[in-house]
Amino acid sequence: MEGPCRVLRAVLYLFSMNTDYSHYYDASSLFHGSLLNIMGTRLDAVFIETDRALCESVWQKTVAELLRLDKMFNRFDIESEIYSVNLRAPTERVVASDELMSVLISCKRYHLLSRGLFDVTLSDFDAVDLDTEHQTISFSEKNVSIDFGACAKGYALDKVKQVLVEADIKDALIDFGNSSVLALGHHPFGDCWKISVENPFRTGEIVDEIELRDVALSISGNMPTHLKHIVNPRTHQFIEDKKIVSIIAQNSFEAEILSTALMIANHEEQKKILSHFDHALFKEYIL
Amino acid sequence: MSTDKNTKQVDLELRQFIKNLGYIAGGTALLTTVPWLQSFTTDKLSEIKNEKARVAIIGTGSRGQYHILNLLRIPHAEIVALCDNYPPNLKTASDLCPKAKTYNDYRKMLESKDIDGVIICTPLNWHAQMVLDSLAAGKHTFCEKSMALTMDECKAIYEAYLRTDRVLYFGMQRLFDEKYIKGLSMIHSGLIGDIVGIRCHWFRNNDWRRPVPSPELERKINWRLYWESSGGLTTELATHQLEVSNWAMKRIPESVVGMGDIVFWKDGREVYDSISLTYHYRNGVKTTYESLISNKFNGLGEQILGHKGTMELEKGQYFFEDVAPAPGILQLINNVEKRVFSTVPIAGPSWVPETASKQKPHYVIEGMVHTTSGGSMVGAENDGSDNLISAFCQSVITGEKAKDIVEECYSSTMLCLLGNQAMKEQRKVDFPDEYKIPYLKF
Repeated sequence: MEGPCRVLRAVLYLFSMNTDYSHYYDASSLFHGSLLNIMGTRLDAVFIETDRALCESVWQKTVAELLRLDKMFNRFDIESEIYSVNLRAPTERVVASDELMSVLISCKRYHLLSRGLFDVTLSDFDAVDLDTEHQTISFSEKNVSIDFGACAKGYALDKVKQVLVEADIKDALIDFGNSSVLALGHHPFGDCWKISVENPFRTGEIVDEIELRDVALSISGNMPTHLKHIVNPRTHQFIEDKKIVSIIAQNSFEAEILSTALMIANHEEQKKILSHFDHALFKEYIL
Repeated sequence: MSTDKNTKQVDLELRQFIKNLGYIAGGTALLTTVPWLQSFTTDKLSEIKNEKARVAIIGTGSRGQYHILNLLRIPHAEIVALCDNYPPNLKTASDLCPKAKTYNDYRKMLESKDIDGVIICTPLNWHAQMVLDSLAAGKHTFCEKSMALTMDECKAIYEAYLRTDRVLYFGMQRLFDEKYIKGLSMIHSGLIGDIVGIRCHWFRNNDWRRPVPSPELERKINWRLYWESSGGLTTELATHQLEVSNWAMKRIPESVVGMGDIVFWKDGREVYDSISLTYHYRNGVKTTYESLISNKFNGLGEQILGHKGTMELEKGQYFFEDVAPAPGILQLINNVEKRVFSTVPIAGPSWVPETASKQKPHYVIEGMVHTTSGGSMVGAENDGSDNLISAFCQSVITGEKAKDIVEECYSSTMLCLLGNQAMKEQRKVDFPDEYKIPYLKF
């Protein structure tokens, strides 16, 4: 096993090489930063800010924070905390960091509010025992493991938002792999950021235009190339419908969790889930 | 004369050109990055609204006629005289503008008081004398590139330019080409990182000959093919691209090596049909220059290579080394730069690396289509030549000199001549101290 493992590790390392790029457009006071290979996708950030040095330092902080979270949430990274939890929790009580514990507690809450459709174990969240008193995690089932794929980007975007707010960057658009978008303030020549949603099955066809200002947008859906990537944790079936759902919420974590749950939910379930989220704006596009 | 419709169109084109640049570089920033355009703001254009530059053309061959066609569409230009010692070309030009007086001796023409500006489109070996005579006669002067056939002639022109109160222009049209101006300003803002190398080339597949009605006219008509009247591929083609190379680098090379040969067109010509030159900048960056006129596969182009990306100026496109910015974000940035509030097409299911195409080009000017194959022996459309000649006519009216054009032409012509010397003598040639001018930064 030694040989293949080493090869696999080398391949994973190659895929995990993060490349960050940035450029400041003086005439427009526009900063653009790009980070590739982050949480399996890419992130593009646009800040409208006259202080170029501030933009650069905020971008460096953003990149550092994203890399930290990528490491924390990456269940394939043998050095990550979640890797260690997944490995050990079936047999022992694993002491978790404050941050991992609080993320899992939030996940549990959303699991309940989404009627079980949002599930970081993709099968049985009930088998995850979170001992808040001793701050330990253990799994009561052998085959359980945690996958933050459906919420890590949202959590990361909330952290990025903190960095921006602390630096007093008022107008910014952050696109995390097209499916999670954070809009702060507005476009320099408009009173919001206008985003359009493209039909992944028909290039160029716009299914909706959405105006964003100080809110988070999350999109879930299938693509012709990726039809089997969302699983119903109750039935273990892939959601293969040709559809997209969008949700606008106050924070990115919530938006991302809801978009996944509502992509899985049927019409009745959607209504029930949404009853807990008064301010969320939900749309479904059948393609 | 041209129709009113055409007249209005060109006027608008020049205004639109300046306006577009305003959007690109943002008001005052424009003036510092492209100093030669300082005199051509929309306000200044309207000041000369009812005036006309009375211009004369010396050399009414193919390039002269190309300028005539552009001049006929410029409202602030009037062609008053034409001069050529080759009657068929003079006749063709005269048919285009019958009101213009015709001459076969340019000195006679320069005596005329009715001429404000002179446009010289003659073989290279005549440039120096004609430019000096024209300035001495008190005429504002425009001369086609390259500056002159020898280094001494270039120096003489430069010194005359320092002394004169007349306007002097050279045909460096890339200085007036929107895609170059924007592309270079993007390079200078750091878009592609540090410049680490430059590759320029110009490939054609034709013999570079014009038909000769009678053998004794060979050297007169095909002047480009003989050393007595031409620097060959360097002074005729490379001069534009070496100018761009210096523009990108903001300095000029200190030495050159190269090889030149006649590989294919062994028809009695003297100038090389295949050249390969390497110019060396003091910081180690090299510009390689290749030109061949028996294979056109590569066309023409200037690639500015940076450690973050590559700009292909002639094609108006650029590539990033590692990260291809998301197309939607790029569209957003382009629109913000143009002060347009529009929808950004980014939202959708997660982007995954497999859905990204590698090395996709990005465009300097969105929707831009004006690129040229480099095949024309006269001049391409929309390559800045029309803006340049229009700007010259405006200077003829206002008497305001345009900054840096003479210096840019001096630099690139010197590099062509040094390149020729390196190829002929088969050795490395350093930029000679006696031809250095204060403008040049090595």
